[in-house]
Amino acid sequence: MVPVIVIAAVVVLIAIWAVLIFNRLVRLGNEAKRGWSNIDVQLKRRADLIPNLVEAVKGYAAHERTVFEEVTAARTAMQQATGPAQAGEANKQASAALGRLFAVSEAYPQLRASENFQKLQDELTDTEDKIAAARRYYNQTVYQYNSRLQSFPDLIVARLGAFREREFFELEQPADAQPPSVEFPTGAGPQ
Amino acid sequence: MTLEEQIRSNRIRSGMLVLSFGLVFVGIGAAVQALYGGVSLIVIAGVAFIYAIFSWFANGSMIGSWTGARLVTKEQYPELVRAVENAAIGAGLEQPPQVRVVDDPCPNAFAAGGSPKSSYIAATTGLLGIMDKRELEAVVAHEIGHVRNRDVRLMSLAAVLVGVVALVADLALRFAFFGGARRRGGGNPILMIVGIAMLILAPIAAFGIQMSLSRRREYLADGSSAEITGDPEGLALALWKLKGDKTELRHANRATAHLYIETPLNNTSGARAALSGLFNTHPSLDARIELLEKMGGFQLSALVGPQPKLS
Repeated sequence: MVPVIVIAAVVVLIAIWAVLIFNRLVRLGNEAKRGWSNIDVQLKRRADLIPNLVEAVKGYAAHERTVFEEVTAARTAMQQATGPAQAGEANKQASAALGRLFAVSEAYPQLRASENFQKLQDELTDTEDKIAAARRYYNQTVYQYNSRLQSFPDLIVARLGAFREREFFELEQPADAQPPSVEFPTGAGPQ
Repeated sequence: MTLEEQIRSNRIRSGMLVLSFGLVFVGIGAAVQALYGGVSLIVIAGVAFIYAIFSWFANGSMIGSWTGARLVTKEQYPELVRAVENAAIGAGLEQPPQVRVVDDPCPNAFAAGGSPKSSYIAATTGLLGIMDKRELEAVVAHEIGHVRNRDVRLMSLAAVLVGVVALVADLALRFAFFGGARRRGGGNPILMIVGIAMLILAPIAAFGIQMSLSRRREYLADGSSAEITGDPEGLALALWKLKGDKTELRHANRATAHLYIETPLNNTSGARAALSGLFNTHPSLDARIELLEKMGGFQLSALVGPQPKLS
């Protein structure tokens, strides 16, 4: 009788432990998902702003066709991207193309003075800032999540629960996702 | 300490704070009862209990009215609101906190409220005046760090509870000297001495609790800011600008001092200066800048001149 109870107790403990690990993985996965949706919202906003910007610039500099084509192509790539890695590539392309468009617009003082153009430029800068902020959070979360999936004992639960690693967004070195770490002074005395 | 541990410890401390606040008020009540008799203990403890519950939910708006922080819209302060939005995204908050502004030339900022959803970030007009976009984002990210680390409820509670302990003890003491004691005349002298001693000790105990909360938390929030913006240099530059400032915040007092990003009580000379050094709620700006230099691997003196400008 005693061995049966011991075995049952061990099984129950292991089950509880597995559930805890499972829940932690789900929570991290959800955080990564939320991080991604933050990026996605801004990517969509950026894609929506681009045609307006192109229209505004066309009004003053209709002959700069190559730049317009470049920007439009980048926008299409953004919209067709599936998954963070592809979206990251397309977003980089869009940033480069927009950079050239703004460089070109420097030569048109009337365009730069236009209120509509200034507003669009301001909005696009804001999306860029927000994408940068969302990217940092997303990559940090994905880094934590993926490292858990790769390490024992979470690895076993992850395999059984069919958890899959997530892609990074615009990141060359996965280790770059780690926040800087430093020892904090703990003394509470007067400084 | 990981973020989860920090959050858990903050939750426990918030509970402990309310509990010790209750105990201090039972003490004050007992002291008043010893001095004046009657049912003072029950009345005072009861009022304190109601006040504590009220504070738990309404500390944000209480602090808002004490500090003169008013709600603002994105149209009024687009840069500040955007900085808050960006930092909230960087910290992974579900929604950005509300934004308030204090009309004061002294540059400073704080966060107050309860849960991340009911918190707000407040900045003075002085801060908005002297910080560029990068520095403002770093300062705001420090405050968002307090929100994410769940520091705000604890710090806000400390502010509204500590302040009222000092107020009530002070009132009771005044009555002891100028009013009731004469009226009751033949009270037990030992009880009266104990009562007065308690009334003197109560605010000291309260400030002790408040001070124990703050210093380490500031370092942690600086670290959170660097993590959120990825830019420890920006915060170091902002702190350097704050260091050059010697103005004093109009609405700041001992009770709310620990809320701010930098100590709002800048007494540069005299007895008050010596005292404020002893009872500082914040680590020195130099120590904080040094820590950021270590995090980011840079030297602030290489970025700016050796002496901060005086404004």
